[in-house]
Amino acid sequence: MREEIYWSCIDLFPQETEEHNRIFPFYNHLKEGRLTTTRCTACNAQAWPPRVVCPECMSDKLEWVDLPTQGLLDTFTIEEVGVPLGFERPLIHGLVKINDNLTLFSRIVDTKPEELREGMAVMLKVIPIDRERVIYAFKPQE
Amino acid sequence: MRRVAVIAGGMCKWGVRNATVRDMIGEAGKECFGSCPGLRPKDIDGLLFSTAFFEKNQFQTHSAPLAAEILGIKPTNLIGKVELLCGSGTTAIHLAYTHIASGYSDMVMVVGADKLYLPDKQETFFNLQAACDRDFDCIHGLGVPPPLFAMIAKKHMKRYGTTEEQMALVAVKSHRNASRNKFAQFQNVVTVDEVLGARPIVRPLKLYDCCPVTDGAAAVVLAAEERAKDFTKDPVYILSIAQASTHKNSANMPGWTEWDHIMISAPKAFERAGLKPEDVDVAEVHDCFTISEIIECEDLGFCRKGEGGEFVEKGLSDFGGQVVVNPSGGLLSCGHPFGATGERQASELFHQLRGDAFNQVEGARIALQHTMSGFCSDSSITIYGRDV
Repeated sequence: MREEIYWSCIDLFPQETEEHNRIFPFYNHLKEGRLTTTRCTACNAQAWPPRVVCPECMSDKLEWVDLPTQGLLDTFTIEEVGVPLGFERPLIHGLVKINDNLTLFSRIVDTKPEELREGMAVMLKVIPIDRERVIYAFKPQE
Repeated sequence: MRRVAVIAGGMCKWGVRNATVRDMIGEAGKECFGSCPGLRPKDIDGLLFSTAFFEKNQFQTHSAPLAAEILGIKPTNLIGKVELLCGSGTTAIHLAYTHIASGYSDMVMVVGADKLYLPDKQETFFNLQAACDRDFDCIHGLGVPPPLFAMIAKKHMKRYGTTEEQMALVAVKSHRNASRNKFAQFQNVVTVDEVLGARPIVRPLKLYDCCPVTDGAAAVVLAAEERAKDFTKDPVYILSIAQASTHKNSANMPGWTEWDHIMISAPKAFERAGLKPEDVDVAEVHDCFTISEIIECEDLGFCRKGEGGEFVEKGLSDFGGQVVVNPSGGLLSCGHPFGATGERQASELFHQLRGDAFNQVEGARIALQHTMSGFCSDSSITIYGRDV
């Protein structure tokens, strides 16, 4: 299915499909519940966010690797003023440590501020934003 | 390399302005030219314009020639727009400096402007989401970074024992200083209790811990030493510049309570100027949030790591202390139209070293400008001096 044509500069979210974006597998993987990034097959460096060229050695021979979909909530904060259109208020921002090398800034969803504590276990939540596109967030582990 | 001086500096009234970017460029240019008797637009051979949101908020590209036209400048050596979000103006100053030092221009106006108040406030918050990594950070609702600095504050409090009261003291100092600065957005004095009791923005940051949304413009003129001496016997020189940038995406930020971009650039700036942190008399640092000024005082070397809270508590960053930090009122009280903050800081320090600032630091000879930008990504540092 083709994406609808519209003025993309007023869209909060990136163009995710193969027609527009060379890292489209990242979004396809998200739809399968997988959080992935690229690793260089030449020098083995793993990048975040995903790339089309390795920032360490400039090779374009990259492969997709799975990242953990569970992590620990390192710290969090609640945004009460200035929450942008399209996001619920209060907006919960968290730092999610998914392994020793990668801590992701992410929205924390499906919870209330008073239920959160530093160090708690969280898991990937894939959120549809329209008929074709998805974004990721984290939610408390069930 | 030729020596480069600042010979003029000025800003328009900052705040919620019933004025366009074009209007404010004109006002700031008038103040800037007015600060240097005899200086005329036709003396200028280069112009750099810094702005972060003119393209997004007012739908205007190719903006440097517009700024030049407004100010009656017809550049024959240098023209362009510079953008590094909050560091746009300072970066433009650095580029003008190198252009003049290398002999390609003689006299460059650096002017910055942004208008962030739009008829519907939601449009501003929406547009500000262009600032972080759009595809991987902004999708989480992350705009300009209050949430980031709230997390930094929490981590600094946990690691070093910094308190909300110490952060409040930064805001109290800022507002008191700005109360005498007629160009600042705020002239209201606040107390520690008022700062602590203000409404939360992103906890633990409350209203006065955060710089406001601002419309504004500011300008400085840089000149080669020999041209500067046509206008003044005692120029304010740029002694050194330095920059560093560590990341864009939030996950690639090297440290939360230690800022590598300062720890890389500040020693270079001091070494290039042949100075040490204790030599600085007056500083304008990037107090986008109260916690920022505390960490910057540490990482610039004004105090030891982790003691930034005590530094402000003991009055060491105030008049009569070790170094007067943000005598203008800083970003917290002057406001922060991103693309113009660098020129405002530079203009303040030019006036401090010339001896005619609103809150004059008596006998100031060495001044430091620090501007941070992005998701706590970059630092741009300029050291200025007089009688050197």
